[in-house]
Amino acid sequence: MEKEINRCSNVEIAESILMKKKTMIVAAVAVAALVVIGTLAVIFLSKQETRKEVLFVNMGTNLMESWLEVNESDAYIAWEPFVSSAVVNGNGRVLMWSSEIMPHHPCCVVVVSKAFLAQPNGTEMTQRFVKAHIEATEWMLEALSNKDSTNYTTLVNIAVEFTDRSAAVVNESLKHLEYGYVMNASFKSALEQFATTYISDGWITNDTFHNRGYTTPADFVSGYVNGSFVDAAGTVAPSATMFPTTIKLGFLTQDIHQLAQAVALNATSFGGQSMFQKYGLNVTKALANGYGAGGDVMTAMGLGQVDIGYLGAPPAILKHINNNIDAVIVAQANMEGSGIVVSVNSDIHTIEDLAGRVIATPSVTSIQHLLLKMELSRLGIELVKG
Amino acid sequence: MTGPSETPSLLQRFAASGWFRYFLYSVSIVLFVGMWHALSWRLNETDPVLATYIPYPVDVAKAFIASFSSPIPGPDVYIWTLISASLKRVLLGFAIALAIALPIGLLMGAFKTVECLGKPVVELIRPIPPIAWAPVFLFAFKAFWGPIAVVFVGAFFPLLINIIFGVRSVDPMLIDAARTLGANKRHLFTKVIVPSTLPYLMTGVKVALGIAWMCIVAAEMLPVRGGGGLGYAIWTITDIGRWDYIFAIMLFIGILSILTTGLAGEFERRVYKWMGMK
Repeated sequence: MEKEINRCSNVEIAESILMKKKTMIVAAVAVAALVVIGTLAVIFLSKQETRKEVLFVNMGTNLMESWLEVNESDAYIAWEPFVSSAVVNGNGRVLMWSSEIMPHHPCCVVVVSKAFLAQPNGTEMTQRFVKAHIEATEWMLEALSNKDSTNYTTLVNIAVEFTDRSAAVVNESLKHLEYGYVMNASFKSALEQFATTYISDGWITNDTFHNRGYTTPADFVSGYVNGSFVDAAGTVAPSATMFPTTIKLGFLTQDIHQLAQAVALNATSFGGQSMFQKYGLNVTKALANGYGAGGDVMTAMGLGQVDIGYLGAPPAILKHINNNIDAVIVAQANMEGSGIVVSVNSDIHTIEDLAGRVIATPSVTSIQHLLLKMELSRLGIELVKG
Repeated sequence: MTGPSETPSLLQRFAASGWFRYFLYSVSIVLFVGMWHALSWRLNETDPVLATYIPYPVDVAKAFIASFSSPIPGPDVYIWTLISASLKRVLLGFAIALAIALPIGLLMGAFKTVECLGKPVVELIRPIPPIAWAPVFLFAFKAFWGPIAVVFVGAFFPLLINIIFGVRSVDPMLIDAARTLGANKRHLFTKVIVPSTLPYLMTGVKVALGIAWMCIVAAEMLPVRGGGGLGYAIWTITDIGRWDYIFAIMLFIGILSILTTGLAGEFERRVYKWMGMK
């Protein structure tokens, strides 16, 4: 029996070894082919045309300065303090301030969830919140008007703690933005312009826009912006009794634009009572260190995790319409305060020089991304994913 | 009823024909889309916010078709740019994984010493999900190579394990026979072990390609460079809230995965046929 197997297999094995040799060649060819295809694909696919395009990448604002340094991007657009930070550290030069793109442009706003407003005392609590926001903003404006005052020092200290930047960076940042709360005609027309851009770019469809009950961008803005809380703030008096409900506050991480909420939350610098407490409100941070993007604040609002949020106007528009997150804008938080940064030795000197280069933006829904896109399109340049 | 069957009825003939399979395939798709539609409809009635996250199938189909003719909201590029970017990452990550897994796998399978040296590290790293590497690789290798490295990790282990297994499964009789015929260690390795491993390697290739596509969303977390990619688009469009496009892009990923794995299968069949193995 064993003999038979051996006889049998000797022939077969000889054959099979011959065949395996063939197999090995096939395998080698297969591997070689795969590698060649892969390499060709890379060479072929990575050819980028240098049309009139600016290529964007998205990254967290805290990454931008270091990635600019290692030439992973040629420029970045961010909110303060990430612009002044690069300048103070000697790594960056400001190519353009956002105020040069659109003077006094709206930036961060205060958004209240409709579900919160519908609660018992929801309107009353919102009214008091807006009052505290206004008081904080006015205190900041007063402090900023006199840089030798103790209030200014207090403001810088609060900002240093909130943004985790040096006093030098904070001082520089505070020069490049305007705080304010009034929602005037130019604020509303800017919001209309933002909504129009999103519709014409196809980010918001006409169908969805109409399904939310809006017919024109103007009609949308008058429905989404509610100035009555700011108007009625004069009638609100401090309250010794606290509302039992706690307001869950959403804000962006280290965003100096939203300093008003850090001021209004601060008790230690104001005799042990925060401005929110002064008006009878318990306010707690929905997320201790804040959210990474405005869209996240809106999503959290949709889930009931945030009652009142500070965020950029563009994500407030996009998420309200596209995800049906019912809310209203009740106040402004700041204007301007963003900038395009290039490295100190960069050969980029005008915004046109950005063509064919890579710029980092915080996210596609950010005001920075939108303003950059609007400015580039005025110059006939497209902003596309790089 | 025990007699020989009469002429089969129309239904029986249909059931026996090849068309029946395609009929069942379409039933499967229709049922799935129908249930999806019902879910969307129900959500629209009960939870208007949640409803925006599960759009109607028809809206997804519209977004899918629109992807060919207009830029995708967010990345503002056409679908071809996204597909080529992801394809590039999948193929490159896979090719590197294959180039490294092949020698290591062959050595680990053939030599006990090498296996013992490699095994603890492989077994430790293998179960870690590729997404866990994404932040590490993005910082270490930056925007271009970082995402490719994530795909590489996903594709590497199925290839390696299949190759080791393939080497182990070589018929010992073949080895004995080759020895009898005077093969030395090197010949054994190149002429017996490597070729016998091929079917296992091809299984590994198919599994690895599938996993490479599964890694693409993790790989293309911000801040990727080079046209974004399908995974990047999913992250970005989440910000904007256009879930019709998110589902459309998920569909693209599924289709591309089927296509690449199918191509590998076709390649495998041709190789076997050419070698007369099957």
